[in-house]
Amino acid sequence: MLPLSACGGGDEGGSSDASGKVEGEITFQTWNLKANFKSYFEGLIDDFEQKYPDAKVKWVDQPGEGYADKISADAAGGTLPDVVNVSPDLVAPLAKAGIALDLDKSAGKYEKEYLPGAWKSHQVPGLQGTYAFPWYLNTGPLFYNKRLFKEAGLDPNKPPKTYDELFADAEELAEKSKGKVATLANVPTIEDFGRYGVPLMNKEGTGFTFNDAKGVELLTKYKELYDAKALDGQALTATPESTGKKFLTEAVAMNPGSALDLEKFKKDAPRLYKNIGITPQISSTGKDNMYVMGVMVNTRTKRTPAAVAFAHFVTDAQRQMSFAKKVAIFPSTKGSLDDPYFTKRDGSDETRVRIAAAKSLKTAVNYTPVLFSEQMKVELRNAVARALQGKQSPEEALDNAVKACDRLLKQS
Amino acid sequence: MKSTTAASAPATARPSRAREAAAPPARRRVRRQLVTSPWLFAAPGLAIVGIFILYPFVSTVINSFTDKRQLVEGKYVGLANFRELLHDDMFWIGLRNSTLYVLVVVPALVLLPLLLALLVQKQIPGITFFRSAFYTPVVASIVVVGLIWVWMLDERGLVNAVLEAVGAGKVGFLSDQWLLLFSAMAVTVWKGLGYYMIIYLAALANVPRELHEAAAVDGAGPVRRFLSVTVPAVRSTMVLVAALSSVAAFKVFSEVYLMAGPTGGPAGEDTTLVMLVQRTGTGLTGRVGYASAISVVIFVVTVVLMLLVLRADRKEDR
Repeated sequence: MLPLSACGGGDEGGSSDASGKVEGEITFQTWNLKANFKSYFEGLIDDFEQKYPDAKVKWVDQPGEGYADKISADAAGGTLPDVVNVSPDLVAPLAKAGIALDLDKSAGKYEKEYLPGAWKSHQVPGLQGTYAFPWYLNTGPLFYNKRLFKEAGLDPNKPPKTYDELFADAEELAEKSKGKVATLANVPTIEDFGRYGVPLMNKEGTGFTFNDAKGVELLTKYKELYDAKALDGQALTATPESTGKKFLTEAVAMNPGSALDLEKFKKDAPRLYKNIGITPQISSTGKDNMYVMGVMVNTRTKRTPAAVAFAHFVTDAQRQMSFAKKVAIFPSTKGSLDDPYFTKRDGSDETRVRIAAAKSLKTAVNYTPVLFSEQMKVELRNAVARALQGKQSPEEALDNAVKACDRLLKQS
Repeated sequence: MKSTTAASAPATARPSRAREAAAPPARRRVRRQLVTSPWLFAAPGLAIVGIFILYPFVSTVINSFTDKRQLVEGKYVGLANFRELLHDDMFWIGLRNSTLYVLVVVPALVLLPLLLALLVQKQIPGITFFRSAFYTPVVASIVVVGLIWVWMLDERGLVNAVLEAVGAGKVGFLSDQWLLLFSAMAVTVWKGLGYYMIIYLAALANVPRELHEAAAVDGAGPVRRFLSVTVPAVRSTMVLVAALSSVAAFKVFSEVYLMAGPTGGPAGEDTTLVMLVQRTGTGLTGRVGYASAISVVIFVVTVVLMLLVLRADRKEDR
């Protein structure tokens, strides 16, 4: 049976006016950041409280697993913290339910501080406004295993740069290894369709369009890879964690990642690290995929000025820059990516990846539509799996996925 | 003397108003306490049952007739959710898998723990070690158990390494729809063996030894004695195990979720009904009304399962 579900918290919301005095106690919720960045956040909160002596911030951190469920329960129960770490797909339903503050109205003056693409990433089709401050961005290259490339007779210094090259190399690698080594371990996700140049949604945001000819073409290519064993046999049930593990254990030859992964390779898989190849993401659009994090303000906060001031404080250029130096993420504030930290080479792989990623972020796109819910991701994944297994043609599978996602969109 | 006590008992239990008024205050207080005390003792339990069982149950039934979503209060939609279920392929897949789980897991969990209990029933040196060993999976966390089995059944795991070593070739335990489901069933059986073994051990301890001795004197061998003495003696325990394991099997979630992943296996073909409730009803865009309708179906089926098992038991009794 479903757990005890609380009713809506009513509409006793606070004011959307953020111009008052910054005072009172607010609660700030992060997403699985306490374990590694406790001192950073404690310092940040101390700085804020020093700047605004009448304000106090209570920090809570939630585990990564089930974060959306926690937000959902809190939002329904009226106990959502005043300031919340969110991703765009979490913001969309909260904005629709009137729980996320429209920053264009309440904090529009800060817009110019952020990269335009990042500011737009928390806008929701069908709604006017921007519903979270952009926080950190992430993107990364494609890692490949030079040893596996070499053993298959491929040039380890010439990794694939286009989709055609990727598919050709993958088939050759599978053929040479007699199906023992796959090149990829994951089925295409919505961002893969986006990067391949498939239009994902109509302009109004009222329907999905990834079943067009280009989408069918991508899925057909993946079907060929699957049949040739160039796609790992367990790809249909893979998760990002399991694909990462496959690459770590050298069961697959390529995997997308970020600068964070290099440290992991060095520590957990020294043999892989010795043979690691780094190449840019493959994209038909010329724009890489990026992941965006945001910080939203709860419309029901009783301390709107303090909540908005703190959300801005967490995401301003100075704090984002200092956070980026602690972990391999990238700031979303204007000009920050021009800092020497993101432009000056020192010969290390970490710096090379960081510089390349920072460069690509200036034009990168968050290909995952904000309205694409977890349920929709499952629908697409299942449709892709049916096509790869040959139970449905790629066209039929994508048509069904679009139909299912459109239905879920209407119900959301 | 005996009859006087018996005759006065009802009068003590239900005194008339006049007698109550005439009684001394201390006795009245005692009588009041006799009425209120049981309720006071039961109150915490009743509160827990009310808040954590009855309220969610009633709430789920009510929600099943609405289009409630996580962040949106729903409105009454009658049987629309149940009608939609009839046309939802994933619901039928879930129903098929949950039913199949019952059909495969329940007979195994009725018979295998009984055989195991017979093996470890004897008092021989070192038998406590085996009893503890067989019970270990019961106390192990299901997440840990699931992960261990995933590692073992992976394409590069222990089981496939052994199969390859003997020349059998790799088997897609975690990539084939049916192998994945049966692997999850095997884990459920493996994890449940020890639990039901303990229940059977208690039942076997109550089987009179004389019956076995008499059967042995009559020339019955071990198999005959098992079928004619042990099985009838533990039949009611077998029914209990069947009832418990069938409800648990129909509501299976963890094993399949851990092994098949959040999508429920390739193309969701290994989804069970409870996984479907989790998938459709949770998250910020979860359809609480629809998930509640699936929950109501699960409730009805489990009640029917229990009734069937109990009915079969009564038939046997006759």
